[in-house]
Amino acid sequence: MSSAGTQLGKQDSAKPEPKLRALLVEDNALDAALVVRALCKDGFDVTADVVQDEAAFTRALRAHPPEVVLADYNLPNWKGMETLDVLRREGLDIPMILVSGALGDVTAVECIKRGATDYVLKDGLARLPESIRRALQEKLQRQLRHQVEEDLAQKVDELARSNADLEQFAYIASHDLQEPLRMVAAYTQLLAERYTGKLDEHADKFLGYASEGAVRMQVLIQDLLAFSRVGRNGAARGNVDCNAVTEEGLQSLASAIQESGAVVTHGKLPVVWADRTQMAQVFQNLIGNAIKFRGKEPPAVSVQAEKVDQHWQFSVSDNGIGIAPEFAESIFVVFQRLHARTEYPGNGIGLAICKKIIERNGGKIWVESQAGSGSSFKFTIPLHGPDEKKEEERT
Amino acid sequence: MKTERELLIVDDNPADVGLAREALTRCAYSGQIRSVGDGVEAMAFLEHRGKYTNAARPDLVILDLNLPKKDGLAVLAAMRAGPDLRRIPVVIFSTSQLSRDIVRSYELGANCYVSKPGNLKDYFSAIKSIEEFWFGFASLPQRGV
Repeated sequence: MSSAGTQLGKQDSAKPEPKLRALLVEDNALDAALVVRALCKDGFDVTADVVQDEAAFTRALRAHPPEVVLADYNLPNWKGMETLDVLRREGLDIPMILVSGALGDVTAVECIKRGATDYVLKDGLARLPESIRRALQEKLQRQLRHQVEEDLAQKVDELARSNADLEQFAYIASHDLQEPLRMVAAYTQLLAERYTGKLDEHADKFLGYASEGAVRMQVLIQDLLAFSRVGRNGAARGNVDCNAVTEEGLQSLASAIQESGAVVTHGKLPVVWADRTQMAQVFQNLIGNAIKFRGKEPPAVSVQAEKVDQHWQFSVSDNGIGIAPEFAESIFVVFQRLHARTEYPGNGIGLAICKKIIERNGGKIWVESQAGSGSSFKFTIPLHGPDEKKEEERT
Repeated sequence: MKTERELLIVDDNPADVGLAREALTRCAYSGQIRSVGDGVEAMAFLEHRGKYTNAARPDLVILDLNLPKKDGLAVLAAMRAGPDLRRIPVVIFSTSQLSRDIVRSYELGANCYVSKPGNLKDYFSAIKSIEEFWFGFASLPQRGV
């Protein structure tokens, strides 16, 4: 018995396409020839190696990796199903089709479960070309899917890295800008203090603009730092009692509340799984905005929460000036402002920080409002842990 | 007999030193103000080395953290390791508001940590407070004992 195997093929095919290299595991030369003929008849330009034991099979795989393995189920010195072990060992993804005499249904199903792509009876070889086509097609799709998954994973990776770089850049830039800017601000203020009224009225105005600009830029940089800090410091999550953080927010806003005559109420708020400092900032920013953007009436602000699906949904509602729907998204962008600084102070960082915090804690934030008729800012925080979810199921 | 006060400012930014001088002038500080621009110079000054052989021993050091050659924390550590220098009160005066820097400063024996305010008025009042406390209320160790 030759372990080098034999090569069969048809060189004079009228139809040169499609080319196919097959590796036959077959002890019967006549059966091998029949298989090749069946393929040639169907238009395959087939090159086939024929082997009948493990050693020859392995050698042939390494020498000329085939596109398909066609293996007899029973061989004198080997078993067709064991070709799968060799393919696995060699790290090859090559479809293996059993080409066999009578093979009971139970055995056939078992073989396919174990990794055979298909099985074709020797007295039904007409079905073989179609079986091979389908096997090759499936392999191609498998590879494409794998490629797409890999590309996606790589993109996600790149995106995460460039995001991290950007955070780092914003932090370093704003941190290092502070130092020289502090000097500009201090010395323009010193100039203004010492020379206002001693030069001419233009000089006074220029000094005023220069020091105002410097001070405003300082505030912007502080804001940018605060914004980038939300991403830099990993969220320290724990159980946060939203009643407590809301109360703390109200204390920080005490003077604004007093000045405006605001009435802020809140229902029973839940305990959520989030970063405490960040949640406190969200409540304070939203309530602060509700007071700041007030109408003619004294502000009436209400903070509520309810369970919606797998989330706690919070709302901070007010009777203020409201927001036209076309601005409902842009207000969450860094440094976006809808009003002149003289009308409503601020840099447009508060909502951007809220959005970043909420998204980092797994939730969403949006506004429901009409110009002139109050706003309701809503955000979600996912329910956390089996206890909370179980309770959800009971209620 | 009351000797003249000696203050050493360690800061690499002349503009900052200028602001501190301005602030001290305004609050009627009448002592000497010396300044050096990096950590190595600061140690030479304090240890009377090189061109500082005749330098006066400061009663108070205002020390920036971010310094060339030898940073403020290293200067602080070196001061606290010296038998005489360890008695000199050190006020850390830095832009940094990082809790890491603040904690480390106190660990190394800083007497006080003050963040440099960004705003001129606050800057002046910070310097004024430092001057009033250390040269007004606080009793300082006698020199050259």
